[in-house]
Amino acid sequence: MAAYLKALRSTESDAALATHHDGQTLAQRLSAKYGDRVCSAFTVFGREGRFAPLPEDLPEGLATALRARGIEQLYSHQQEAWDAARAGRHVLVATPTASGKTLCYTLPVIASALESGARALYLFPTKALAQDQVAELLEINRAGDLGVKAFTFDGDTPGEARQAIRLHGDVVVSNPDMLHQAILPHHTKWAQFFESLRYIVIDEIHTYRGVFGSHLANVLRRLKRICAFYGVRPQFVLCSATIGNAVEHAQALIEDEVFAVTQSGAPSGDKHVLLWNPPVVNPDLGLRASARSQTNLIARVAIKAKMKTLVFAQSRLMVEVLTKYLKDVFDHDTRKPPRIRAYRGGYLPTERREVEREMRAGNVDGIVSTSALELGVDIGSLDAVVLNGYPGSIAATWQRFGRAGRRQQPSLGVLVASSAPLDQYLMRHPAFLTEASPEHARIQPDQPLILLDHIRCAAFELPFVDGDRFGPDDAGAYLQVLAESEVLHREGDRWEWIADSYPANAVSLRSVADGNFVVVDRTEGRQTIIAEVDYSAAALTLYEGAIHMVQSVPYQVEKLNWDGRKAYCTRTRVDYYTDAIDYTKLKELECFDGTRAGEGSARHGEVHVVRRVSGYKKIRYYTHENIGYGPVSLPDQELHTTAVWWQLPQTVLDEVFRSRQHALDGFLGAAYALHVAAVVAVMAEPRDLQKAVGSGDGGWSAQVDTAGRGQLRAADGGLASPDMLERFLPTVYLYDNFPGGVGLSEPLFVRARELVRSALETVRGCECKAGCPACVGPVLAADEHRQETPRALTVKVLELLGAEG
Amino acid sequence: MDLDALRRMAGVRARLGLPRTPARAVEREVPGEEIAPGLRYLEQSFAWPEAPEVFDLTFARLTQAHRGQLMHFDTETTGLAGGTGTRAFMIGVADWRDDRLRVRQLYMTTMAAETSMLRTFAGWVDDDTVLVSYNGKSYDAPLLATRFRLARITNPLVGLVHVDLLHPMRRRYRQVWENCRMQTAERHLLRIVREDDLPGSEAPRAWLDYLRGGSSTDLVRVAAHNLQDVRSLSALLVEAHGWAALDMASSPPGNEISTPARAG
Repeated sequence: MAAYLKALRSTESDAALATHHDGQTLAQRLSAKYGDRVCSAFTVFGREGRFAPLPEDLPEGLATALRARGIEQLYSHQQEAWDAARAGRHVLVATPTASGKTLCYTLPVIASALESGARALYLFPTKALAQDQVAELLEINRAGDLGVKAFTFDGDTPGEARQAIRLHGDVVVSNPDMLHQAILPHHTKWAQFFESLRYIVIDEIHTYRGVFGSHLANVLRRLKRICAFYGVRPQFVLCSATIGNAVEHAQALIEDEVFAVTQSGAPSGDKHVLLWNPPVVNPDLGLRASARSQTNLIARVAIKAKMKTLVFAQSRLMVEVLTKYLKDVFDHDTRKPPRIRAYRGGYLPTERREVEREMRAGNVDGIVSTSALELGVDIGSLDAVVLNGYPGSIAATWQRFGRAGRRQQPSLGVLVASSAPLDQYLMRHPAFLTEASPEHARIQPDQPLILLDHIRCAAFELPFVDGDRFGPDDAGAYLQVLAESEVLHREGDRWEWIADSYPANAVSLRSVADGNFVVVDRTEGRQTIIAEVDYSAAALTLYEGAIHMVQSVPYQVEKLNWDGRKAYCTRTRVDYYTDAIDYTKLKELECFDGTRAGEGSARHGEVHVVRRVSGYKKIRYYTHENIGYGPVSLPDQELHTTAVWWQLPQTVLDEVFRSRQHALDGFLGAAYALHVAAVVAVMAEPRDLQKAVGSGDGGWSAQVDTAGRGQLRAADGGLASPDMLERFLPTVYLYDNFPGGVGLSEPLFVRARELVRSALETVRGCECKAGCPACVGPVLAADEHRQETPRALTVKVLELLGAEG
Repeated sequence: MDLDALRRMAGVRARLGLPRTPARAVEREVPGEEIAPGLRYLEQSFAWPEAPEVFDLTFARLTQAHRGQLMHFDTETTGLAGGTGTRAFMIGVADWRDDRLRVRQLYMTTMAAETSMLRTFAGWVDDDTVLVSYNGKSYDAPLLATRFRLARITNPLVGLVHVDLLHPMRRRYRQVWENCRMQTAERHLLRIVREDDLPGSEAPRAWLDYLRGGSSTDLVRVAAHNLQDVRSLSALLVEAHGWAALDMASSPPGNEISTPARAG
């Protein structure tokens, strides 16, 4: 390195940190210097590697390919997976991030392709992962000159390539949506492929949970039906990140026994974890410094200590803000290649590929990412991971920390708490994170409406015969309903598809609406697409006036063409960024059924959910002062769905609670507790079933504000006080977060009494004092000493809703 | 699963239509001979003295074919959705027999008859058969391939020479006509204007109505439409055969490979 560059480096860096540090020393230094901020420090001990020689029955060419790529031996878990797969078992591999799960399936798949021309189907949750996988397969193929052909098959695959892939692909790498919409309904075109299909590989199975997972389980039922038609019974190889019930989840997805490989043989260094609470900056108000400033500090220190650092932020906006702050420190010389890169959904695929490549090559010192990097995208190994805020689940926290740690070197993981009640609760009670088991993945594939959808698709693919099962049950009732709606025709004992429609197109496996927005840069007459934004995020990030950042370069949105799905922007230089103000409210459309619930009522029916972006704030960099507002006029995001809801009459509330604010806080706690109970009762994912508190007539809605108190918004979106309302009819809603509903809330209504009772049991039996994430939601430290705690108020509401009856 | 609950749940999303009106006394007569349970067979023959003995197929980038090898075919299907859920319920075939055009049609009056329909049709195909169709390369042939696969019958069409008249028509008349649909070609080249023709798009409904116990009137019209289609096919081929003499080597090169309507 040239002398002047060296000099530049050293002035740029903190002298004390200019030498290379590892996770352990950095953890110690940070703890020593900022002891008051470190709430908890612990070490997850690493382990020695356990190895096994390359299996003797590994085809010679494949062994050569591995050696050429520097793989002389296997980790013990890779060997276990090999043995089980070769013995014909379904295999589940549940080992930590970056432990070499890929080889667990690549070896048996390539071996059987070489030995007997067998084919394999890979399913990944995202296109990006599928492309990585094909690149990996092609490298092995090249290294050993094996002649194994691997292709991605997704929505971007051109029509003329599809025929060749169907006929010649040894490994076809796709996603569940393509399998559902393009492969299964056209299975006859894939006949040769199915006839020699030996392995089905499904990676990242922990992402297939809730409704998405229930859909996938049904797509697999259809796949197995079609395999049976072609006379094959392929083996499944499944991979999962660490979740509480990986084996059970795998078996629920494929409805068969799996051989579980859970002990990683990959060596790992010690991981030093710090739980970091920003310092109190205003003791009177109990205000803490922002998580963002602390994340920035820690990342800066780590990068200066020459540690490759990955920062996870909770939103795309925060990714850009943090990237800018780090770039201001490390990338002020624009002639040099950037040391700091951002990575998130919404970038163009080419840009993401380039960032991945740069990261793998070790040319990037700091990466700021959303959850996009939680999955197995290969970015090489890192030394430090900083989480800007709790990711919301224990499993995701460990998955993100798992990104750090290469060879046997000690690594660093820091969780920086935000001011959100849940984060603050974790800081006070670290055991919640360290001792609880990671979350379970739950699916409910026999949920009637989902079954109806997939039996419809299955009948299109192959006719049903009386007595045929789909899943555990006889499909008869569903076939009957489908015949009544004239999509099937019954003749003798056969049910044949008869409608002129393509049912898979009407069934989306994921709740996200499609129709991406493109962001077009019009600076100086350009017409360049610089980003894509998915539909769900468009209203929050592309309103006119918004500052949209790409690799922290700010563009201002000048015109949004909502119907054309385009946002036009120009390059700008401003010292602020923008943040949308949004809220959600519900209105009942139709009540299907109702019943008494204690002093009040429980009902279920159709509701109209409106999410509205009412305006945006301009926030100045670094000081984070609010320097202005702007109006937003966009169409509301609307959802017609089914819900279950509980209400108490005003007279009862006035009698029991000291104030309406107390009642409202009780309702918000009850919503939390009922939601937790409901999610368990119907095996739902929390995001699939949403909770809300609002007025029974749709007049107002309520949320927990940053002070931990219920906050009302009037119909026009402005803040309101409960005492100003003419009528006060708080209502707890649990609704299906899917257009039209997916049938989660109907069983909840049937079990309404049981739900209220189980919610009350949880709240009463909880070991906390005033309320916690396990019962009524996280509460602030100040509330732990309140006379009427959120927990006590919640108990009152649940009692009134008949929990004692 | 409780049937009523299921109906109601399905109704929340789809709002099913009202129950069908009860069937009145309707016409249920269908033409042809029942050659297998649910399978009807119709045969007609038309005089056509001036058909050439050997067809010049250079217009389709092929050499030539003897009159006896030609098999003009067209299917009527349950829809255009594509995939494994669409089936052919009628197959019409025209071929030359002793200076006459013979038209044979097969159609199903029950779903179970599909296998025997496919087998009968397969029996009509020889190794040296030359297929003639209009858009059959991307529509009728793949659809039949799917049906043969589902019925576990070897697809007799694999490997046969297939003259799809749509492509040569497009190459020649793309700039001339408003579109290159078969009925357009028929009108311009053969001066045929159909009267009381049931549009092809009505065929699925006509067959379904009959299958569900409704009237056969429109199904009879579908058979007439299909008959006209294969007769016109044979006439259009005679027409195209004549192009070679008109303009040797004047047609510009085009794209012979067809793209499927729905890729999967």
